[in-house]
Amino acid sequence: MGKGVIELTYLPYILTGTAIAALTITILCCRKYAVDTLNAVEKILDHILAKDDSLSIGIAEDDRVSKLAHKARRIMDIYISEISQARKEKETIQGLISDMSHQMKTPLSNISMYSDLLIEGSLSSEEQQEFLTRVKSETEKLQWMTDGLIKMSRLEIGAIQLAPVKTGIRQTIYESISSVVAIAAKKNIDIVVSPFDDIELYHDRKWTREALNNILENAIKYSPVNGSIEISVEPLSLYTKITITDHGIGIDKSEFNLIFKRFYRGQNTKNYEGTGLGLYLAAIIMEKQGGYILVDSKPFEYTSFSLFLQNCKK
Amino acid sequence: MSILSAKRLKKYYGKEPNIVRALDGVNISVDAGEFVAVVGMSGSGKSTLLHMLGGLDKPTEGEVVVDGYELSKMSDEQLAVFRRRNVGFVFQNYNLVPILSVYENIVLPIELDGNKVDKTYIDEIIDTLGLSEKRNSLPNMLSGGQQQRVAIARALATKPSILLADEPTGNLDSKTSQDVLGVLKMTSTKFHQTMIMITHNEHIAQLADRIIHISDGKIIREGRGKK
Repeated sequence: MGKGVIELTYLPYILTGTAIAALTITILCCRKYAVDTLNAVEKILDHILAKDDSLSIGIAEDDRVSKLAHKARRIMDIYISEISQARKEKETIQGLISDMSHQMKTPLSNISMYSDLLIEGSLSSEEQQEFLTRVKSETEKLQWMTDGLIKMSRLEIGAIQLAPVKTGIRQTIYESISSVVAIAAKKNIDIVVSPFDDIELYHDRKWTREALNNILENAIKYSPVNGSIEISVEPLSLYTKITITDHGIGIDKSEFNLIFKRFYRGQNTKNYEGTGLGLYLAAIIMEKQGGYILVDSKPFEYTSFSLFLQNCKK
Repeated sequence: MSILSAKRLKKYYGKEPNIVRALDGVNISVDAGEFVAVVGMSGSGKSTLLHMLGGLDKPTEGEVVVDGYELSKMSDEQLAVFRRRNVGFVFQNYNLVPILSVYENIVLPIELDGNKVDKTYIDEIIDTLGLSEKRNSLPNMLSGGQQQRVAIARALATKPSILLADEPTGNLDSKTSQDVLGVLKMTSTKFHQTMIMITHNEHIAQLADRIIHISDGKIIREGRGKK
């Protein structure tokens, strides 16, 4: 009996002892877990610091460390892709400069040749007139090209940020039509706008007008005399689609993507003046304001360019 | 930087003499941030290709490397975790859970991975995709275009590095398609995603940075897109 009493009196001590032991073990385990986790985190951070993207910590395991490693990789991926984006932009600009010098060569050497002939002075007055006209037209071409290039380089280098604001599209469209009315009239081309309700769209009016102008000028250039150009505006649920349709020489399906490339001229446009910049610019402008552009065409039947601009949130 | 590549990829079904070569030696390399369209007729092997790239199916031969991981070396469990974290899928028939609301459908993959929902990010996606008003609706209350937008939001929710879209506009009329595509392109740019889209519609493929034509399980033509 006395023994039992002794045991009972010791019980609290035994319990406390067990509790302390359990606690110590738990603390040790926690410590080990924390140390392991911290080691893993450190390893991940080391990888990031070393810009080493071959992080091999069980990436597809279903635990916290693997999740961390995965997120670390994503961060690295985003930075690497931003760096390569910057590199690509640099290459684009270098390419632009080399393309530009190349494109300007021909008109410049023509001007130089014509003026040499004029300076020699052995030409009849008729011939003189002829060469002067040619010099003028080459100069105009250069003028046109420099204008385009300036706009393009500003957009491309990001020197100009488009500032899309909530504003009515009707005025943008009308302003751009009015700037091409004169050249359309020269070819007796009708520009027909299907009636539409004005709608507020997120867009930068000045640059959107530029994009519309480029497409309208093309439509006029490649249309036959007495032709017609139709413009329609159609709201979708997230975008509004502005379509410009002409019935000129058209574009072959195989060229649908090529025509938006810098300096690309369609196979069938050899006899038309042009710089190969207009559609390229239009596509960049649309992209910079979160829109896009699509083309559809059947040669000598129709050519439609659709510009998509974001609707304003209600 | 290549984020995804496939080398000598083959997928054969059946045995000689009735062997079907769904994929017959395909090599692909996709850069981070690129938008690639794979165009081909039905039966050309384009969906099989997408399934291989997303780790939904295993190739007969060849390898797929996504973000440095060779998929064929992973177990099924690892593949499941890999897909959940790295790949967003958008299918032709939306595959939304009918008894969950729009919001619940969108955050489902995040909850499956046992993560907390990044509310600001999800709100931004919902807003970008024009779904704010439909947040609490059930999928059957939505139009096809809206349902596909929910599917896109769900694919973006886990911030995957790659978005794989299999005929995302296959069930939509041409107007709705243009809407959905614009949004796909815009969001993938905005959220730094690489996108591979399968389509039989060349008109739609115009939006891509690069177009790959596939026929009889082989790449027959590769053209740069607008850039």
